[in-house]
Amino acid sequence: MAHRLEIALRSDLTDPAGETVRTRAAAYLSVHPVSVRVVHIITIDADLDEQQQAAVSDIFTNPVTQISSYLPLDIPFDWVIWVGYRPGVKDNPGDTAREAMVDSLGDAFPLDSGVYTSRRYCLRAPDMTAEQVDRIARELLANDTIEQWRIFSKQEWDDSQGIGLIIPRVKLDHEPTVTVIPVDTDEALLAVSDQRNLALNPNDVPTIREYFLRPDVRQQRQAVGLSDPTDIELEYISQARSDHCNHNTFNGLFHYRDLATGEGRTIDSLFVTCIRQPTLEQKQKKPWVVSVLWDNAGAARFDDSHNYVITGETHNSPSNMEAYGGAMTGIVGVYRDPMGTGKGARLVMGGYGFCTGHRDYAGELTPRLHPRRLLDGVIEGVRDGGNKSGIPTTFGQVYFDDGYLGKCLVFVTAIGIMPARVDGKPSEEKTTTPGELIIMCGGRVGKDGIHGVTASSEVFSETTPAGHVQIGDPYTQKKMHDFLLEARDRGMIRFITDNGGGGLSSSVGESAEFAGGCEVWLEKVPLKYEGLDQWEIWVSESQERMTVAVSPDDLDAFMALSAGHAVESTVIGKYTDSGRLHILYNGQTCAYIDLDFMKSDFPQWVFDAEWSPPAMRGLCEPVLGRPDDFNKLLSDMLARPNICSREWIVRQYDHEVQAGSVIKPLTGVGRDIPSDASVTRPVLFSDRAIAFSQALLPAYSAIDTWQMVACTIDEAVRRLIAVGAPPDEIGGVDNFCWPNIQYDPTTNPDGKYKAAQLVRACQALKETCDAFGIPLLSGKDSMYVDGHLPGSYGETHKVSAPPTMQFSATAVIPHVFRCVTMDAKAEGDLVYIVGRTADELGGSEYYDMMGHTGLNVPQLSVETVLPVYRNMFEAINREMVASVHGVYRGGLGVHLALSAMAGERGMIVDLSQVPRVERLNDAGLLFSESTGRFVVTVAPRHQEAFEALFAGEACARVGVVGRDQGDLVIIGQEGRTIISTGIDTLKKAWKQPLGGLI
Amino acid sequence: MSRTVNALVLCGYGLNCDRETAYALELAGARAQRVHINSLISRDSRLSDFQIMAFVGGFSWGDDHGAGVIQAHRLKTRLGDDLIDFVTGGGLVIGICNGFQTLVNLGLLPGCDNDYRTRSVALIANDCGNFRDDWVHLRANEASPCVFTAGMTAFDLPVRHGEGKFFCETQMHARMSEKNQIVLRYADDSGQPAGGKFPDNPNGSLDDIAGICDSTGRVFGLMPHPEAFIHPTNHPAWTRQKTLAARDGRASTDTGSTITDGVRLLKNGVDYAAGM
Repeated sequence: MAHRLEIALRSDLTDPAGETVRTRAAAYLSVHPVSVRVVHIITIDADLDEQQQAAVSDIFTNPVTQISSYLPLDIPFDWVIWVGYRPGVKDNPGDTAREAMVDSLGDAFPLDSGVYTSRRYCLRAPDMTAEQVDRIARELLANDTIEQWRIFSKQEWDDSQGIGLIIPRVKLDHEPTVTVIPVDTDEALLAVSDQRNLALNPNDVPTIREYFLRPDVRQQRQAVGLSDPTDIELEYISQARSDHCNHNTFNGLFHYRDLATGEGRTIDSLFVTCIRQPTLEQKQKKPWVVSVLWDNAGAARFDDSHNYVITGETHNSPSNMEAYGGAMTGIVGVYRDPMGTGKGARLVMGGYGFCTGHRDYAGELTPRLHPRRLLDGVIEGVRDGGNKSGIPTTFGQVYFDDGYLGKCLVFVTAIGIMPARVDGKPSEEKTTTPGELIIMCGGRVGKDGIHGVTASSEVFSETTPAGHVQIGDPYTQKKMHDFLLEARDRGMIRFITDNGGGGLSSSVGESAEFAGGCEVWLEKVPLKYEGLDQWEIWVSESQERMTVAVSPDDLDAFMALSAGHAVESTVIGKYTDSGRLHILYNGQTCAYIDLDFMKSDFPQWVFDAEWSPPAMRGLCEPVLGRPDDFNKLLSDMLARPNICSREWIVRQYDHEVQAGSVIKPLTGVGRDIPSDASVTRPVLFSDRAIAFSQALLPAYSAIDTWQMVACTIDEAVRRLIAVGAPPDEIGGVDNFCWPNIQYDPTTNPDGKYKAAQLVRACQALKETCDAFGIPLLSGKDSMYVDGHLPGSYGETHKVSAPPTMQFSATAVIPHVFRCVTMDAKAEGDLVYIVGRTADELGGSEYYDMMGHTGLNVPQLSVETVLPVYRNMFEAINREMVASVHGVYRGGLGVHLALSAMAGERGMIVDLSQVPRVERLNDAGLLFSESTGRFVVTVAPRHQEAFEALFAGEACARVGVVGRDQGDLVIIGQEGRTIISTGIDTLKKAWKQPLGGLI
Repeated sequence: MSRTVNALVLCGYGLNCDRETAYALELAGARAQRVHINSLISRDSRLSDFQIMAFVGGFSWGDDHGAGVIQAHRLKTRLGDDLIDFVTGGGLVIGICNGFQTLVNLGLLPGCDNDYRTRSVALIANDCGNFRDDWVHLRANEASPCVFTAGMTAFDLPVRHGEGKFFCETQMHARMSEKNQIVLRYADDSGQPAGGKFPDNPNGSLDDIAGICDSTGRVFGLMPHPEAFIHPTNHPAWTRQKTLAARDGRASTDTGSTITDGVRLLKNGVDYAAGM
């Protein structure tokens, strides 16, 4: 018989978790419980005698602060909301609770006993209606894709039974079966594909059928007892051919036409022409680029004895379904990429980028999760995933646009470090050899995460399988991380890769290509519960798993080490030179495919791309008169959603663990203003460090994606320069998130234009990186950022995200003591503006606030800015400058204010001195978003040297730093003071919108 | 130093500050060794070979059932009295963040009058309702027997926790303050105790308590992270201090030689152990 232990804080102690629910209910749903208390429930599906029950409650009850009981705790309420996981959803607390019980009860506690955790919320809310309580449950506490809930009124509540005994155990009375799928006709195969959610591409179907009908193939298959393809084989093909794994869009054939000039050209694979070729050329020129374009992450030299590795991912679809679990599996998942790069890297930092609808969205459309709730979940998912992994989250960005209502964007970036040589060989090299064993390490396999890859290659709709939504388990992964690093240093790892998208299907399939074949014994794969079909075991994306190649000689030592770290490792097959992917289940062959088959020429995807330039689309500059209240204007600009303080997020993220923090995400006297970039020392005995920055500027896509990409790269680069990074050793990571670009007259009428936007973006990427000399160390693309949202009448609207590219940049800082931060340091320091301001407010925050999109999107000339960046590096290196801050979204007005606010000092600036390209009114000078600019403060004693260094460049002294807690004073071009506001007032305005969320 | 001091740094099961804690102890003059909880349990490593034991920060067992609860339970059930023998035998113990949480759940703290078994204080969820990473000012109790803070009065360290609110009953609090077992308190810019004011007191701790020791002063637990201030550039104000110092001709650009307060705190412990 099962037991239910209820645990709660003593009633005289405040319950912060309950308080959070109470305040969110008020803020988000305008319902006002008097108080909320949380009861933690552990349900144990095992027979325990009284002594054992007492022992268990001792483990989980803190005698100083908690009360507990196997009967419902008597906590006053008007309503109770119980929330627990659905069967099969990862219950991390349940798993650790089981571990602890085994410690106490030993063998008396059967290992397979179910242990489940859930929460009971006790609401004091006399006047609350059942409907309001249901909203709190549905819109605040539970997500029906992973959780179930029940509501009890005071009347319905039974003091002796409480919530009852709810056991979410997975029971599958199912005999694993392999299904053979007929390939008589294309139609038949496609029908099966739809019905089984294989998401096979219709164009691929003939190639697939042709293979399985080939006489020689049929003969080989007959020998192993196969005829037509099995479901597991088709799943394997579908995974490998998915856009997610195969990047069919970026490898597509693009017929591009400029509708203004009529000129057209054809591009064969954007990936090859704009990413691979340029990167290979850079690799030739840059000896510090170690390994790119083939592994889970790119590798670059940190110092003579270390390489750093970096990659960036997105986890949009799952986060859109279940924000917390999706974002958590995103960050925990991207952390497996460096672990699976070369012989394995140790994780040293992470970054994030969130794009959602506005938190206060109140429009007609009904997204799956309201942006506010979605963002909360995403923030908390990355918090728990990152913090519990023991990896500092040192940089991030959040961008609001209602175009992300259809699908949100969750970017996650990971950097690791590895010794340059492992066991005497280069650490970035790895291969599999016939005879080596295939070992799966880490978590077990369940039905969770099935078809994640194919689902993320689809537009979100109500039919998207919720099965691919998961919760990450950073605890299990951290144990595996520590174990694998030790195994690596003992030279036991021949090859390692992670199980992410596609699960074993991808990791084993890809690693087998090195050896030239593999044999997999599927029945050996450890499962969370019985009853999975063979194909499910093969493609499940259950998290926290790595696939490792180990020589039979090392097997015993490897397994012993694994056990010592409490990590589960299992031999599931061996590598061969058969040329085939051979999968057996209890000796029965269920898949037998030539590895070359995936290389056979599947038809290339073809896209029509039609570009109509902005002017032709009717865009023009707005006609705006001169504002007369610049004080309020600046305050309101600082309070804009895409400019205001995000401190509430940054503080939730451990950004200093591992003790390498040099420049933190927040800086200044009040430690509250965002740094231009983060700087981290990954090797504690070294004074070298990694500078890291990210940028995204989707607003510019409304005018031209070419400039969107060019300006995004410039911002990321300038952010590094601002902290003291050398301009000639910068590596980049591109993450594209794009709407569907395949034209369809009814479902995607503007597909040709979106395709043209992608072509221009990729060419801007190539040309800008070439000009800066930036190799792309890694990158990913995530297409289909669209959603169909119900409107007021039940009709659905397709919402496509603005074309977005996040660019991440890294550089190695040779000597950390030279780094600078962006805060104005001392009264009397001189204020300089470096770089020209032009009439470039199209797509600017200022125009957006005024309700316009202009035409003059910022232009980038790398030839002009790069020499300036080199000078800035020298100025910083020669310690001439007190502070350096790039001018980004919001323009000079916003970024002068930030520099002053960070120093908590006044600043007086004369706009007439600001270097500019052409005549510009005061508002234009203050809010133009021209590229290549910095705000710099310099101690008077360095004035001469600094001005000499920048002689000939666009650099002018525009003012002076004022007294402690002084005013920001800006003098207009006519010599009149147009802005005079206290730094504290500006800071208040900047913090007001989201400040209360800390 | 009269002899080498061996320091044991626990690792495994989701702990994550073991590398930097070991490195910091080396900077402080000890010979530090990272030891997996399991090899301590299997007795492959023996406590008796060490003079200092460090319980480090992290999320042991995911901290799903109260921070440090399951780590304490595992050590209690599997290590038996080894820990208590180590302490009563004169060994030094420092518990940082998750380590502090573990020490109070083990009962090694507050360790009044050699009672190293009773749980009588707790570290619970921050009043702000969230995990919080920020630097804090700390005020040390000069009258405290704590060997780690000897000669230290006021200094800065980072906190990084979701469950750092110190709580105990009034009598216990009175007893601890009377015996000067309250070692560290969160302070304001002026170095005076924060008086509960957020964010100077980041979690709502009773009496601004950030760290306590047992009655001997050899067992010390604190929420802030000394091992995260082992390089001058760890301090959030270092760039400002550097430029300002350069102006009045103080300090060279390379401030690498100076010992940080994080290392100093650990060095106090190492020097004490060396002198034993």
